[in-house]
Amino acid sequence: MQLLINTLASAAVIAPAAIAFTLVFTLFRYANFAAGGFVTIGAFAAWTLNAALGLPLWVAGLGAMAVSALGFAAADAVVFRPLRGRGGGTLLLVSIALSFVIENIIRFFYGGQIRGFDLPLTGPILIAGMRLTRETVAVLSISLAATLLVGALLTLTPIGRALRAVADNASLANVRGIPVPAVEAFGVAVAGALFGLSGVLVGLDLTIDPNLNWAVAIPVIAAAIVGGLGSPLGAAIGAIGIGLAEELTGVFLNPTYKGAVGFVVIALVLLVRPQGLLGDKVDRK
Amino acid sequence: MDAYLVAILTIAGIYVMLALALNLQYGLTGLINFGVVGFFGVGAYASAIATETFHLPFVGGLVVAMGAGAVAGALISLLSLRLSGDFLAIVTLGFAETIRLVFNNEDWLTGGPRGFLIGTRPVMSGLGRDVTAWAILAVVLAGVMVAFLVLQRLSTTPYGRTLRAIREDDLVPATLGKNVFLYRLQAFVIGALFMAGAGSLYAHYVQTITPENFTTPVAILVWMSVIVGGAGNMVGTLVGTLVVVTLYEGSRFLSHWTSFLDPEQMSALRFIVIGSVLILTIRFRPTGLLPEVSRAPAPPASPLTPSKG
Repeated sequence: MQLLINTLASAAVIAPAAIAFTLVFTLFRYANFAAGGFVTIGAFAAWTLNAALGLPLWVAGLGAMAVSALGFAAADAVVFRPLRGRGGGTLLLVSIALSFVIENIIRFFYGGQIRGFDLPLTGPILIAGMRLTRETVAVLSISLAATLLVGALLTLTPIGRALRAVADNASLANVRGIPVPAVEAFGVAVAGALFGLSGVLVGLDLTIDPNLNWAVAIPVIAAAIVGGLGSPLGAAIGAIGIGLAEELTGVFLNPTYKGAVGFVVIALVLLVRPQGLLGDKVDRK
Repeated sequence: MDAYLVAILTIAGIYVMLALALNLQYGLTGLINFGVVGFFGVGAYASAIATETFHLPFVGGLVVAMGAGAVAGALISLLSLRLSGDFLAIVTLGFAETIRLVFNNEDWLTGGPRGFLIGTRPVMSGLGRDVTAWAILAVVLAGVMVAFLVLQRLSTTPYGRTLRAIREDDLVPATLGKNVFLYRLQAFVIGALFMAGAGSLYAHYVQTITPENFTTPVAILVWMSVIVGGAGNMVGTLVGTLVVVTLYEGSRFLSHWTSFLDPEQMSALRFIVIGSVLILTIRFRPTGLLPEVSRAPAPPASPLTPSKG
């Protein structure tokens, strides 16, 4: 049972970023390896607002989401948009370079040490033999709420329908009178905010470290691929799968191998079911 | 010439080998390998284990390293080459990260985070410090020559043209009866073999290798060398590596004017510059300093847009 809690907590941390990754992939057809960079931005923005400026954590969290949404919008305008149509490989390479730049900008200003939010220390609550900290409860409920909210946004609202239409076929959507650039900008903002939210959750669940970049990017991408690129629900389920795989490995293997689990899972999924769990129409050409 | 310059040239030579190998994989064949440091590391550790644990001479270590690199390359390609570009990128990145975790965790084999000490040198012992440094530089430059001649030869022969054709559109060579998968696999394995060879030279040059030597910054420097120099052009890759190493090492000489920054900030700043230059090159000069020479009358498609991207 404790394993279940840990699994859900790991999954909850990466789920928003995995959904954002898949959103970016469906809209613009590139694998954004800078995902981890924007998660790190979210974590550090939240830390700055909370621990350095003394704002309450929920305000800091919302602020962090805004900061990383702006950051991703700026990156999209300056780096990604001019390169659209130059092929997924080019964008992928650029996103790796960008994540590298982001990681080092953060290191430049914050140094290398590890930090935590300014939270009162509380003991764990015991429920039916499971140890639950307040942070874990918060991470789980915030992530679940965010997932449901994004799901509802995509399926129930007009803007969500427009987003899916643009992702499906931008020129067709354009002909049908959907303002494609505005919808894309909205998608970018939502993705950026979700990256930032993952950053806040990382800070709640673990610690904030400039090295977050790859440690987060890998399970995030793994979750999106396992779930099937392009399916937000799949990304959430994929996150649980990755969380489970990580926790189970921790039982049998040295827990320091956790970082490799995402890759092994990716490799296995790609071999057996390249379209992922919930992906059906995958046009990878 | 002072010892510092000899050291920089030695490291530059090792980077040239890595970049030439990546140019075969990416520049010619369009394979996005983000696991450069993985193969580099496999070579370094394989060579270290062969010479220190099993007491082989340096040459034995080099051969073991290249063999290990080729095997690793073959495994990765069999696993992922049928998939498209992005997935190969993810799998190779994962390979590099996993390999680094193995180096870090399996203390009994690799010395763990403390590193692996290597006594064996590529040159005879008892030469004195300066002469040894020069001799190792000579060995590395010989390695660069071999890598350059072999890879340049590969790239200018019909074999290289087939690789380029696969990069542009794998359907056409397939229709002409070329086994596209086999060509991709060969290009990947040959590249991995040279990367591992570079790793072996590196290990016996620095004499202590730790998992930290094989992290993303190295891969970014190598990628930048290929892109800035001009993907698909071996001479361009050579020039690109020299530009990158100059940029990277040269910034050390600016420390006089940047004394208000602490060392961590300075190192972060160098990486910010390197990442930004990479992004700017891709944006504004995707063909690099020395674009790929094309014998076709039509202007070549940008090498940065492999059709399978």
